[in-house]
Amino acid sequence: MDKDYIHIILADDDEDDRMLFTDAFGELRINTKVNTFNDGVELMDYLNTPDAILPNVLFLDLNMPKKNGIECLYEIKQNSRFNDIAIAIFSTSSSEEHIEETFVQGANIYIKKPSDFTTLKKVLSDVVTINWQYHTSGLNRDNFLLRL
Amino acid sequence: MKIKRIYKSTMFLKSIFVVSIFAIFFISAVTYKHINILNNSSKWVNHSYDVNLELERLFSYLKDSETGQRGFLITKDSSFLKPYIESKEKIIKSFALVKVYTKSNPDQEQNIRKLEFYLSKKQNYLSASMQLAHTKPVTDHALKEKLVIGKITMDSIRIQINEMILLEKNLLKNREISYTDTIKVTPVFVYITLLITLVLISISYVRISKDLDKLKMSNNSLAVMNESNNLAEIVGNFGSWQLNVDSKEYTFSDNSYRLLGFQPQSFFASQENFLNHIHTEDRSSFSTANEQMLLDGYLAPFTYRIIREDKKVRYFRTTARIVTNKSGDEILIGTTSDVTDEVLVSLSLEQQNLELEASNKELSAFNYVASHDLQEPLRKIQTFVSRLSDKEYNNLSQSGKEFMGRINNSVERMRILIDDLLQYSRTTKIEKVFEESDLNELLENAKSDTQQTIDEKKAIIQSEKLPQMMVIPFQIQQLFANLIGNSLKYSKDSVAPQIKITCSKVIAEEEDQVPKNTKEKFYKITFIDNGIGFEQEYAEKIFILFNRLHNKNEYAGTGIGLAICKKIVENHKGFIFAAAKPDVGATFTIYLPE
Amino acid sequence: MKIYVKFDFNSVCRKVLEEKLIKYNVKYRVLGFGEIDILEKIDSAVLKSFTEELKEYGIDIIENQKTVLVQKIKDTIVEMIHNSDLVNVKSSVYLAEKLSHSYGYLSNLFSDVTYTSIENYIIMQKIEFAKQLIVSTDLSLTEIAFQLNYSSVAHLSTQFKNATGITPSGFQRIITKRREIANKK
Repeated sequence: MDKDYIHIILADDDEDDRMLFTDAFGELRINTKVNTFNDGVELMDYLNTPDAILPNVLFLDLNMPKKNGIECLYEIKQNSRFNDIAIAIFSTSSSEEHIEETFVQGANIYIKKPSDFTTLKKVLSDVVTINWQYHTSGLNRDNFLLRL
Repeated sequence: MKIKRIYKSTMFLKSIFVVSIFAIFFISAVTYKHINILNNSSKWVNHSYDVNLELERLFSYLKDSETGQRGFLITKDSSFLKPYIESKEKIIKSFALVKVYTKSNPDQEQNIRKLEFYLSKKQNYLSASMQLAHTKPVTDHALKEKLVIGKITMDSIRIQINEMILLEKNLLKNREISYTDTIKVTPVFVYITLLITLVLISISYVRISKDLDKLKMSNNSLAVMNESNNLAEIVGNFGSWQLNVDSKEYTFSDNSYRLLGFQPQSFFASQENFLNHIHTEDRSSFSTANEQMLLDGYLAPFTYRIIREDKKVRYFRTTARIVTNKSGDEILIGTTSDVTDEVLVSLSLEQQNLELEASNKELSAFNYVASHDLQEPLRKIQTFVSRLSDKEYNNLSQSGKEFMGRINNSVERMRILIDDLLQYSRTTKIEKVFEESDLNELLENAKSDTQQTIDEKKAIIQSEKLPQMMVIPFQIQQLFANLIGNSLKYSKDSVAPQIKITCSKVIAEEEDQVPKNTKEKFYKITFIDNGIGFEQEYAEKIFILFNRLHNKNEYAGTGIGLAICKKIVENHKGFIFAAAKPDVGATFTIYLPE
Repeated sequence: MKIYVKFDFNSVCRKVLEEKLIKYNVKYRVLGFGEIDILEKIDSAVLKSFTEELKEYGIDIIENQKTVLVQKIKDTIVEMIHNSDLVNVKSSVYLAEKLSHSYGYLSNLFSDVTYTSIENYIIMQKIEFAKQLIVSTDLSLTEIAFQLNYSSVAHLSTQFKNATGITPSGFQRIITKRREIANKK
């Protein structure tokens, strides 16, 4: 895992959440490079740039202005170029039906934003670790579903 | 029995009529015959009389000629020859007549021949003697001889004539006898027939008059019914109409006119006239429905608007169907009611409903958004408090640490409250998707949701097999999770919680708690625990939103959990009841319709 | 038209390897899974381009002895789980036997390299296999639990949920719904 850094991207319109996210990764032992975007449009613009470095894991907030998480998810799933990205929906709270729907639409991970920092760190760490294990063990990414 | 039936039948009068006609014909035939006979009878009498008279005349003429002859014989006066000559002719004529009269009878014909012989003989001798008398005196022998033969012939003639007369008399008598026999019967026939006819006519009369009475009674009750119908129409605010399908004649009842704001029968009853009063927008649909009605012979209740005489708009509803009367006519009968009140009320109810729904939707949305959006800042508070705690805990004073602790507690409570509120608002969402689900699976999911607590408290959960049903899966799962969670939360300190879940199929009527006028079959699922229970008097209160039986220091809770359970059960058109004994345990019974 | 495919990962890799080896004209001998004896010296440049081409297929040439062993542990574990005969065998015993090291040594090595324990890896692979079975067969959860040597469906569910946060039935639902959407397109 130390060979390369793990590239993480977060799209979230909330400043506090972006800060907490970046800080959390900063305190983890894992070698990561974190980029954040303020909304869906910025995110998709970046991803669609031809030589953009694609993330290993993409965290999407659901409620974003201009283009929300679900719309981004849909677009990403349409483009085979993004097939290797593990997509995590990172959201405040949703109904069971809504959560199921995000998985059905192609998300790999659903995370309910935790309300304390330590838990946040653990959650992010788990996501990255499990994703890396998937990657190294050649497991079927289509079946990669995780809910935290 | 059979006679009574004959009497009652409708053919009775007709047959009596026919019989009477026959009787009349019979009587006239008999009478005609009788008259004929009488006619004939008198004819024969005349005939006999004529014959006899003529015979007498003949003899008289003969006598005259004889007298003439005698006179001449005596006086030799030629003036006595005149009657003799005249009588000669008369004799011939008279004899011819007699011949004609007696032509029909063979016996008489024989007599006539005999008479003819005698007559001619007499004539001969008469003329012979006359000849002689011319030249010879009276005492002449030849003359005397002739005279004597003449006299004998006359006697024979006399005898013959008497015979003929007698024969005629006998003939007449015989005829009389035979006629009398025939005639005797006639009156009897006539009287008998007359009697029978009289009886029949009396019977008919009785029958007819009884029928008339019945008809009168029917008519009376019909008149009364008509009146009561009219009254009913007035009271019930409807009108009736009829259409004779064949003759195309319409009849509108009095109240039909009143409904339109007119005086009864104030205009000619026709479809065009009625159409004039229908609201312009509804005219075409009404006409279409009308045409279809004439084809089908039936009109399902059809609502449309009319404009009354006073220009007010009213809602009418018409229904019709065909009946066939006793004469085989097809009559389309219809009823038109003024349903304006009903329609207006229903419209206003619809309106109110829509408003209520919109309002509910708004409230629901508000609830949802509020709960959802409140979570964000709350989470932030918690997160940053936790960061503060992590980073700066050692830099805090004792009271600082305590304050942090209390902040955390309050914030946590608030979080749970908002979570529960959010959950509650989710169960009231309008769009509910029912799916065929395995309740056992939902129960397993609910258990794994609370697995941590189950393991901590070493709880044992036993369940019977649950059915497959059409439910909202996430809600039922929530229901189970809440109930299990409750049982775990309110368990006794020293005893490991045991939860028993049973399931059976029941009929609504056999269950006391279920209201009677509901769907028949239910699945009854019970959750029985061995926790701290509660007083039975609170059994209904605990389902009320925010209602709690313990304060927050004893047991954490928001008072929303069971309200959510009740809402979920109501969403499925079921029922939930609680029963408990303090310190023994609680039983929650859920009824879900099949 | 739609066709459903199942990957036999091993055969695919072997085929690619062989194709590449033939392409680079390398004389070789396959010793076992993941082990190839190159029978002649290869130029380092050739080795580099060979390595890179394989990388495109996700095939890495492992240089490190430790990583080799770890890979062997992983492969053995996968084999254990997929082989119904081995289902009842105790994993620690089997691994130690098969790889000729003590289980303790293997365990430590594994954690150092992968940052996770063998037990965790076994669970992960079991759950993966369960997912595969759910996706590609009609087996019921009971049958799958049995095949994977779980004492009950509940046990499988619990482990499944712990690992993924979703219940097996939930997983099944999601896969089914995904298929439905894919079918509509």
